[in-house]
Parts: sequence; C-alpha cells; structure tokens
Amino acid sequence: MLKINNLHVNVANNDIIKGLTLSIKPGEVHAIMGPTGAGKSTLGYALTGRDGYQVTQGSATLNGTDLLDLEVEDRAAAGLFLAFQYPVEIPGVSNMEFLKVSVDSQRKARGQEALSSSVFLKRAKAACKQVNLPLAFLKRGVNEGFSGGEKKRNEIMQMILLEPILSILDESDSGLDIDALKIVAEGINGQRDGQRSFIVITHYQRLLDYIKPDFVHVLADGKIIKSGGPELALELEAQGYAWLESYDRNAQEANA
Amino acid sequence: MSNWLAETIRQAEKIDDWLSPKRAQSLSLLKSTAWPTRQTEAWKYTPINVIERAVFKSANDPQIPTEQNSCSQIPNLQAIELIFFDGIFDRNASTQQLPDGLTISSLSEGADLSWALSSFNQTKPKHHFFGLINDTLATQGCIIDVAEDQCIQQPIHIAQSFSLGSQSHTRILVRVGKRAKVTVIEQLQGDQLSFNTSFAEYQIADHAYLEHYRLAMQCEQAISVGGCHFHLSTTSQLNSNLIGFGSQLSRIDMDIIHTGEQSNAKANVIYLLDGKEVFDLHSAIEHTVPNGVSEQNIRCIVADRANAIFNGRIHIHRNAQKILAAMNNRNLLLSDNAQINTKPELEIYADDVRCAHSATIAEIDDEAMFYLQSRGISRGDAQVLLSFGFINELVDQMNNAAIAQWLRPILRQRFAKMGLR
Repeated sequence: MLKINNLHVNVANNDIIKGLTLSIKPGEVHAIMGPTGAGKSTLGYALTGRDGYQVTQGSATLNGTDLLDLEVEDRAAAGLFLAFQYPVEIPGVSNMEFLKVSVDSQRKARGQEALSSSVFLKRAKAACKQVNLPLAFLKRGVNEGFSGGEKKRNEIMQMILLEPILSILDESDSGLDIDALKIVAEGINGQRDGQRSFIVITHYQRLLDYIKPDFVHVLADGKIIKSGGPELALELEAQGYAWLESYDRNAQEANA
Repeated sequence: MSNWLAETIRQAEKIDDWLSPKRAQSLSLLKSTAWPTRQTEAWKYTPINVIERAVFKSANDPQIPTEQNSCSQIPNLQAIELIFFDGIFDRNASTQQLPDGLTISSLSEGADLSWALSSFNQTKPKHHFFGLINDTLATQGCIIDVAEDQCIQQPIHIAQSFSLGSQSHTRILVRVGKRAKVTVIEQLQGDQLSFNTSFAEYQIADHAYLEHYRLAMQCEQAISVGGCHFHLSTTSQLNSNLIGFGSQLSRIDMDIIHTGEQSNAKANVIYLLDGKEVFDLHSAIEHTVPNGVSEQNIRCIVADRANAIFNGRIHIHRNAQKILAAMNNRNLLLSDNAQINTKPELEIYADDVRCAHSATIAEIDDEAMFYLQSRGISRGDAQVLLSFGFINELVDQMNNAAIAQWLRPILRQRFAKMGLR
C-alpha cells in the first residue's frame, strides 16, 4: 500500500531524513519510535506535503499513486491522514463546518456525491461520542480552547469521519492521561479492518500496550536503524535510547 | 473654496427650522474651515476628492422609492422599523405602534424637544469637516427617547437606502434614560453611486444599556461619511458592532466618551474590502473619569487594490485612574496591491491604568492553512474558511441572533468572491 523508498528530506537546509525505506501492506500497523530529533514528525510532514519539507531524493507511493507529486489536499483525498502532534486552533470556524467541508472536499475529489446534512450530522455525532467528546464540541471553534487531550481526541474524530486508508498518528499519546490514552487507542483500534493501515509515531511503549503493532521500527538520525516485532518496543522501553546509540555505533563499526 | 462646498453653504443658509441656532454655529465654523486635503492629518488617506468629482442631486431631494433601493431585509429581526429613502423619512413604511416608554419623532417634524436641541452636537466632535456639513444640512432623521427604567424588547431598526445620484444628510439623536435598555440598528445601504452623511449621537444615562449596530454595507460606488458618537454616564454600558463593506469612500468616526465611573464600552468592528474600495475608521475613546472599561476589536480583510484605514485613539485624562482599556486591530491582506494604514494612539495622563493596544497585519496563517489542506480542503476553500473564521469570531459575539444569522451567509459570499481574484 505505502511504499517509501530511499527518502531524503531537507528542512531549512538541514538533512533530516537520510534514506528511509519502508513498506506497509493493507491492514498493518507500524510503530515508529526513536529519540527526539530523529525525524519522526518530519516523515509525517514530508508525506503530507507541508511547505518547507523538501524531498530531495527518493519516492513515496500510496497504492501506486506518487504522493510527492500531489498537492496537500489531493494527498488527503488519495487516503492519507495525519493526526497532528500539535493540532491547530482556528477560532471562528466551527468544528462541524470544518469537518463537513473536509468530508465534502474529499468526496468531491474522489467523484463521490456529497453527504446530505442529516447523514453527515448523524455520523459526526457518532464519531464525537466514540471519542468521548461532548456534542457541544462540534459547535465550538476548531480546537479552540480544547485541552491537550481534547485536541488529540478531536484528531481521532476527524480520522473516523474521513476514513483514510493510511493514517499517520504523530505522538497522539503525548500529554494524555491513561483514560484519554485508552479512548484514543480504542478510536484507532475501531478503525482496524484489515484494509486500513497505520503509522503510529511515539516515544513510549505505553501506547503500544493498547494498539498492537505488527512492526516496530527504530528511527534514529533520519534512518530506520532497526525493525522488529512488538518485542522491540519492550526492549527499547527497558533499555532506553542510549542502548540504541551503542547499537548504532556497533553497526557503524561493523560496516567499517 | 470648492464649488461643492460653496453650493453646500448656499443651501445651508436657506434652512430655517428648530435646529437653526445650532446650525448657525456650525455654518460659521464651516465657512472658516478649509476643504480637507491629503495634508490634513485626519483625512490623510481618505480620497474625499471623489465627492467633488461626482455629480449629485441636491440634498434631500425626494425620490420615488422602488423595490430595488430599499434595504435588504433582515429575517426574524422583528424590529420597530424606521425607513428612510434617500434620506427622507417614510412614515407610512415605518412602524406606527410603539411600545410604552418609547418615543420616536421625525427630525423634520420639528419636535420641540429641549433635550434633543441641547444634545445636538454634544458628543460629536465640533470640528469634523463632514460633521459640520451634516450639522448644517441634515433636516431629516429621527429622535429616539427611551424613558427611564424601560426595557425595549424589540430592536429599533433605522434602515436608510440610497438610490443612484442621490445626496442625503441625516441625523439621529438617541437618549437612553436611566436604567433603560434598548437595541438600535443603523443600516445604510447604497446600491449605486450615491452620497450620504449620517451622524448619530447617543446619550446613555446612568445604569442604562445600549446595544448598537451600524451596518454600513454599501456597493462599490457609494460614498458615505458618518459617525457614531456615544456619551456614557455612571455604570452605563455600550455594546457596539460595526460592519463595513466597500464603497469608493466610506468614512466613519466613532467617539466613545466616558463621563461617569464604572461605565463599560465594547466595540467590535468588521470591514471587508474588495476592488478599489476605501474604508476609513477613526475612533476616539475618552476616559475622563476613573474606573472605566473599554474594549475594541477591529478586524479587517482587504483584497485586490482596496485600502483600509484605522486610526484609533485612547485618551485617558489626568486622574482617570484604574482604567482598563484594550484596543486590538488585526488585518488580513489578501493581495499585494491592497493597502492597510493603521495607527493606534494612546494618550495617557493617569499613572494607574491598564491600557493595551496591538495592531497586526498578516497574511493567512500557514499552519492553519496546512491543517485544513491536510484534511482535503483546497487552498481556495481553506482561504474562505479561514478569512470567514477571522471575522466570524466577532459575529459569534453579537447578542442579536437574527443579525448574526443574516450576516454569516452574506460574509461568506463576499469572501468567496474576494478569494477568486
């Protein structure tokens, strides 16, 4: 489904991602872990096409479509979704309107008919309940005055409504208490249907107790330096990223 | 002296009514005032030469009202209607039955109201050039008196529309009695090239509350100069909302004068300009006594080659301690050729006050833009949503739901049009 090959990303004249290769099949959940500054968020931004995240080399395709060639909104319509680490507050634009325009835009881009207001309202309410946000949040400005946890749940609500085929969750667990973490994890697990895939970016093993990944990758200095099953996350948790650095050094010495 | 001004003075000299003593003072001032130019600070960015260039019918020349030139209806407003066509009060089209405690008189019918005579020019600055013109020429308008302790449930809607080539001058005098409560909506609509001056003076007595709207939504060609001037007494409250659309020239002067302690004034201003439209807001807030609160939010979006001007002054007098004053001017530029001139001025002579001002000019926030696009929303649609949100924040704060509901689709349409260029 998603194929990333030898991706290099430059941000403000710094090479952040330096040859990343990753392949994700339908229905798979991949966790990407790694220390701060490894390039985890950059990967999400580069794939979704944020300004200033320049791909200098390599390719990324989603179901055969060259993502890097598309406008930001067209990548979304192709089925890509990024749950932001820091969701943006937009006062004056109601959450409901934002969600409706998002869903309508994507449906239009895919040649589908727009949902009627009543059908949409029903779905929005269901999604809102699913992430345990009061319905009043649909009427409030987008993320306006939401707590950290509410913002993260609002991201999951958008994901539920937009039904993307590949979701990138950028530290959707950070700043959450255990109850909010469970709600976020349940929101994601509810979307797993054997077809839709996920990249879960996280610092901590904690989230992976609730979302069982198929693969765990360790990203350090812009490259995936180790991949494995869920047990790799446990190992990281136990030994910390310092262990990684020695691993990395050993690997480099071995290569030399 | 310009021909236009000479003709204006000739006309003014012919007027003889109950306001004549006041008019005479203004007329003599007008005769000694020079036509403002770009060198005149208060009119620096205001292209008033368009008034001289255009040809208008003589002032307050009655027109036959047609369907096209009446103001757009505001659904569900359920207001007390005061209708003006080309500056002439239409008594038949206006509401006849008034609730208890409310008296409305036509200015032209020469009401013998000593309070109205003494409040004429009480809050409006004396030397405003077009204010002087309005003083001398405005024979039409209305006088609204809300008796003490009266809470008028229905809003009072003063709807003025202007037809092609018309010239009109109207004056509104309002007195809100002690502990009274009322909403006044001034709607001005010129769908074609027309010229109007409309000045309104409000006296808000102790403990009284005024909710005010000025909807100056004109077409691209209209020319409108006017003012809203508020006099606040002890513990009185003002909540004012001003919406400005276009016009080849629209100038509004807003004065808020706090003369009693614990008075509270809030003014939200929205203007949206496209094409070559010019909108100029000059506001002055005077805190002459301690313990007052004032808050102003001015939001403006300019597209194409439009020009937005804001000059905001807060003046805190000596001994006017414990004042809380905030002035916030935010502008959004949608085009390289659009222009914004903003000038906040604070003049503070008391030493224990909290006074904040900010003025920003920005393009659309990149982060918010990316957020919307990442959800599949096109750049154009996102721009409309974000611009609308920037303004809608202030619409959300309006107490009158009918006006807010009526405004939202109008603003949305306007953005969609502005975004296309």
